[in-house]
Parts: sequence; structure tokens; C-alpha cells
Amino acid sequence: MSFDLITHSPTMVLGIPLLFAFLTPLADKVSKELRDAVFMMGLLLTVFFVFVMSYEVYTSGAWTYVFGGTESRPTSLTSYFRIMFAADGFSALATITVAITALGAGIYSFAFMDGHSGMEKYYALFLLTFAGVNGMILTADLFNLFVWFEVTSIASCGLIAFQNYRGKSVEAALKYMLISVIGGLFLLVSIGLLYGEYGVLNFYYLAAVMTGGLVDKIALAIIFVVFAMKASSVPMHMWAPDVYSESPGSVTPFIAITSMGSLFVLFRILFGMFRFSMGAVELGTLLIILGLLSMFIGVSMALKQSDVKRLIGYLSVSQIGYMLLAVGVGLTTLENGDYGTFGAMALEGGFFHMINDGVYKALLFLSAAAVVYATGTKDLNRLGGLAHRMPYTTVFFLIGGLSIAGVPPLSGFSSKLLIYKSIYLYHPILAIIALVVSIITFALIGKIFYNAFLGPDLGLTRGEVPTSMLAAMMILTVIVVVFSLFPNYVVAEIVVPAIEGLGVIP
Amino acid sequence: MNFTILPFVMVVLLITMGLYTVLFKRNLIKMIMGVAIIQNGVNLFLVSLAYRDGYAAPIWTSAPSSDMVLPTPHALTLTSIVIGVATTALMLSFVIMLKRHYGTVDSNETRRCRE
Amino acid sequence: MNWKMSRVVRTVTDIMVVPIIVYGIYLIIHGHLTPGGGFQGGAVIASSTALLIVSYGSFRDYKKDFSSMESLGLTLFILLAIFGILLGATMFHNFGAGTGGLFGGTVPEGINPGYVNTGGTIPMMNIMVGLEVAAALSLILWMMAKASDSMEVEA
Repeated sequence: MSFDLITHSPTMVLGIPLLFAFLTPLADKVSKELRDAVFMMGLLLTVFFVFVMSYEVYTSGAWTYVFGGTESRPTSLTSYFRIMFAADGFSALATITVAITALGAGIYSFAFMDGHSGMEKYYALFLLTFAGVNGMILTADLFNLFVWFEVTSIASCGLIAFQNYRGKSVEAALKYMLISVIGGLFLLVSIGLLYGEYGVLNFYYLAAVMTGGLVDKIALAIIFVVFAMKASSVPMHMWAPDVYSESPGSVTPFIAITSMGSLFVLFRILFGMFRFSMGAVELGTLLIILGLLSMFIGVSMALKQSDVKRLIGYLSVSQIGYMLLAVGVGLTTLENGDYGTFGAMALEGGFFHMINDGVYKALLFLSAAAVVYATGTKDLNRLGGLAHRMPYTTVFFLIGGLSIAGVPPLSGFSSKLLIYKSIYLYHPILAIIALVVSIITFALIGKIFYNAFLGPDLGLTRGEVPTSMLAAMMILTVIVVVFSLFPNYVVAEIVVPAIEGLGVIP
Repeated sequence: MNFTILPFVMVVLLITMGLYTVLFKRNLIKMIMGVAIIQNGVNLFLVSLAYRDGYAAPIWTSAPSSDMVLPTPHALTLTSIVIGVATTALMLSFVIMLKRHYGTVDSNETRRCRE
Repeated sequence: MNWKMSRVVRTVTDIMVVPIIVYGIYLIIHGHLTPGGGFQGGAVIASSTALLIVSYGSFRDYKKDFSSMESLGLTLFILLAIFGILLGATMFHNFGAGTGGLFGGTVPEGINPGYVNTGGTIPMMNIMVGLEVAAALSLILWMMAKASDSMEVEA
């Protein structure tokens, strides 16, 4: 009768948010304070278990958690038919990224959503989305991938449309829902194809038996498109600006991290399953093309926006491009022998950029939401002079903005530098395009900063946003600063184990 | 003639019909119906994938024989049906709310995010 | 909701609602033996709500009860799953099978006529899911009926 929570932490990362999500409506029947306390406790416990799991991965190595049996950490994998969770370095990196954002957005929600009715549903959906993304990242079989994919879609659409007195919110949610549902159904078709051919759904087993025939190619194409779409890569990015612009401000970073979660899943599937039979060079080239398109089109669409959240939404699309580009270059080198010279650096840059981007994008979205909260408008042409009344938000926005633009001391620079250095060796043109995109990003951040925060005080707001919102942004700022100060440490302790967790052996 | 191919023909037909409805109909309710049709096609695909000639359904209670099919695709189908109920209900609720705000269910007139 | 169907429809509804609910409960309880289970049984139970809404139009606002029932079912489900960990095994471990307690009968090998008192945690989870689905689908139907009601003016 002994149990250690460390072994069970991969399942607690899901179980705790689910349990507390269902408890919040019950707690709401008692009192509002209890409801808020239950939500906060669920959030903190989940984040705690994420860190417990990651610490265990970093200190004593990865393990596979098997559901339902009596032995939770089996030494030999005799059955591929049980539900499995992979607790490895890659899951640790991804869940840490999600957990930091969820913590920030969750604390931010208290004041931001104050006064809305039905908040118990908001909290329940928030925790469900959290559980869904964690499940999508941790799972090691396609069946569960589909289930958690749908849980994430449904819960996050509920969150996007939470302010249902605004027609545009509902419209954005319906758009996102339609493409998620159709994407999910096609994902199911490809799962069916793979199951029909091999009779298993487990990633590891499929990776070992996959032959790379026509059916596998069709399945790969469908899975690739579905997850690239959820990750808002360019040809399929049309939902992203609408959703980022119209969702409630406290939810926006969380939706962004949901799409980042899909990108994590895409990388896990490509590296763990399809790379062995489909040719790493072809897959990598595909990722590079998508990455270039996302970077360039994202940033050029951002140029003409005057809605501050929509602009940051397009910048977010272009940042996704950096990750696709760097990881694509890394994937290409796995086969052509350049891994030692620059492939490892490209992967490090790509994955470091993912965790960086998750954090500073959350900070940017939250500070933009603070502007909207304080002034009631998203239009950059009507904003101005906010630095006089909102000094803290100004500083937070500046740190997030300089980080996304890759300005030297900040975390965005460290990861972008790794990306530039490695892709320059792959092809110099790519590095030049990446630099140009970065410069335009800097100009756009300057535009927002100049239009919204500088200039004479227009009297748009009475003062700073509530303390709990500032506290949430403060947490994210501190993390950005820590990442900026110790990039070597983060790369060595978090990013390198993630690359090992994907099965890439140099 | 081999009749085991028939369900798969039906699957392709259903999915094509559904996609056509989603892409070319302007009424939002009809688009959601199209999604439901795709869903049925996918479910039929999974169920026909699991069919093995001469094998019984995996239910031990008063089973006709002890040769049974592996019920993983059936579990997938059930999950998909359950999720389908939730998504359809959610999308229809969104359409009800849109109708309240915009007064129309025409997909050309419910594109106001970009303005 | 201010419509009301004719007396014939209402009488038939009164008669039919009870067997429908009983059939739903049967499906839930036998979920581990025959086709059926929590979702299917819950959906059948919710169809009785649909019948009531259609024929009577207005009835008392059960929104609060439905939503508590839903949360309760889900909470108990997850607690059952986590309970496996507390007993030293893994999440979703079937700790009730073969213990002789509630639903703890031993399952005979091979083809059998079906014994309800077997299955361990599976029937328990079926019951929780049944509770949840019945409540949630009823709630959805209720909310949609209410929402479409307020829009009738314009049509």
C-alpha cells in the first residue's frame, strides 16, 4: 500500500485539472470565494506536478507510464495495447511551457473576468483546456491523441466565446470550432488508416513497423496538415488573428499556447514516428517551406493592422515560422550528416525559441489585454499616452516586445541567435530572410509602443490595472528575465534533454 | 463480386458529400449538417475497418462463437460519436448566439471579425 | 416556452417517459455485459427530457439540478480513477474486480449468460458517466429550447 507521487506525476498532470474542473461548479454552489480557491488550488497543484515530473525526468531519466495495470513503471514493455504516457524530456519542455502560461493567464483571470456571470464554467473550461493540452503532449498513442485533441478544441472554443454578448467572439469561436472539428475528423481517418494497416496505435510500435507505403504517406499528409493548421502555420492560419483578437484577453495567451501544443505534437510525431520511414530530408524541407511562408506572410500581414491584439496575433504566426524553420533545418540534418556541425544548434534554437516564445507572447497578449481593459479600445489610432497612467504595464509590454523582436539582452535574442547561426550554415538566404522578419517585428513593436504608450496623456484611463493582473504579468516578466540572464543554463538543462527525449541521438 | 468494398465506397461518398456541403453551402446550419455527414462517414469507415468475415462481436454474453474481433476501432467510433454530440451541440449553440447578434445565419454576412 | 401540445401527445408522453428512463437505466447497469453503457443509457434518459420539452413546452427550471448532477457524476468518475493510485496501483486500475464486494464477482471464462455483479470499477464508472450524460444532454436540450424560444418573434 505505498504510492509515490513522483511516479504518478504524468497522470496527476491530467487528473488534477480534470478533478478540479468538475469541482468548481460544485464549489460555486457554496460560495464564490470557495470557487476561486478551488480553481487556484487546481491550477497551482497542476503546475506543481508539472515541475515534479520535469524534475524527475531531468534527474533520473525518462519513463513510460502505463495506465490500468498494477505496475506503473514497467521495466519491459510487454503490451502495446494499454494506454501509455511518455514522460520524457520533450514532454517536460512542452508541459513547462504550457504550465507557465497557464499560471500567468489563470492569475490574470481573477480581476480581468471579474463581474462576468457563470465564472464557474470559465474556470472549469480553463482547467479542461489545461488538461487537454497536457494530455495531447504526454500521450504515446494515436487514440488518446485524438481524444485530447478534441477535449482541447471544445474547451478552448467555449473559452473563446465566453463573452457571448459580443457577436465577434462567437463568430471567431465558430470559425475555430469548424476547422478543429473537421481537422479532428480527418485525424481520425488517418488513425483509422494506420490502424487498418498495422493493427496498433502506439507511437513506438508504429515507428518500428512503419514501411512508408502509400497509405502511410496519406496518413502523414493528413496528420501534418491537421496539426500545422492547429499550430497556425501559414496556409492554414486564417483562424488565428480572429481568435487572438476576439477572445477574452485572459484567454488569448492560453489559446496561443494550445496552438503551440499542437506544434509540439507535430514535432513529436514527425521525429518519433514518420522520420524513420519517410525520409527526414523531405519532411524537414516541408517544415522549412512552411516556416518561411509563416514568418514572412505573418509579419507582412501584421504591417497593416491597427487592432493591437490582431497585430500581435499576426506576429505570433510569424514566430511560429521561426520554430518550423529551425526544427525543419534540424530534421534535415539528421539524415545528411550535418547534425554535428549545425543540426544540433538548429534544434536547440528551435526548441529554446518555443519555450521563450510561449512566455513572452503570453506577456505581450496579457499586457495588450491590460490596455484594452483599461481603455476599452483595441484601436491603435485611438490609443495614446498610456505610459503616464500605466507605468508598470508599459514596462511589461516593453520587455515582452523587445524579446519578441530579438533585441540583444533578452531571451528572444538568445534563441534567435542560435537559429540565425545554424540556418546560415544551411543556406545564407534563409538567415537573411529571418533577420529581415525580425527587423520588421521590431518596427511593429515600436509602432505599438509609440502609438499606445508614448505621446501626451489623452486621459483614456484612470490608472493602472488591478494588482492581481500586474502580478500575473510580473511572474511572466520575471521568467523572461531569468531566461535572458541564463540562456546557457536553460539550453543545457531543459532544451537538450528535450532533444534527447525525441530520440535524436547525435 | 466482392461486396466488402461497398462500405468503403459509401465512406468516400459520405465524406465527399459532407465536404461539399461545408465548403459550398452558405447557411451555417447546413454547414454543421455537413460536418455531421463527414462524421458519419468517418464512423462508418472505422466500423467497416474492424469487420472480419465470420467473427463475432466482442461480447461474451451469450456469444455465438469464441472467435471475436478486436474492439479497438469500435471504441474509437464510440468516442468519436460522443465527441460528435458535444461538438454539434456546441456549434449549434454558437449559431443560435450568432443569429441573435447578427440576425442572420448566412456565412457571407457573418464575417465581421475583419472589419 | 409557451407552447403546449394536444392532450393526446401529453398523455402518451406521460406513459412513455417512465419506460424510457427504465430502459436507460437498464442500458447503464448492463453496460459491462451487453452493448450499451454510460453514454448510451444517459442519452436514452435525456431523450425523455426531450419528449417532455416538446410536448409540455414549459416546465420547471431544472438548470441548477442538472448542472450539479453533471459535476457530481464527473467528479466521482475521476475520483474512482484516482483511487487506483491511492491503492498502490495506477490510474484507472480496476481495484473492484474479483474482490467479492459490489460488482466484485468473478467472471467465468468463456461464453456465459452474463452476470451483472461483475466488472469491478467498470459498472461504477458507467453509472457515473450515465449520470453525467443524462444531466448534460438534458441541460443542452433545455438551454437550446429556451434560446430558440426567444427568437420566434422574428421568424
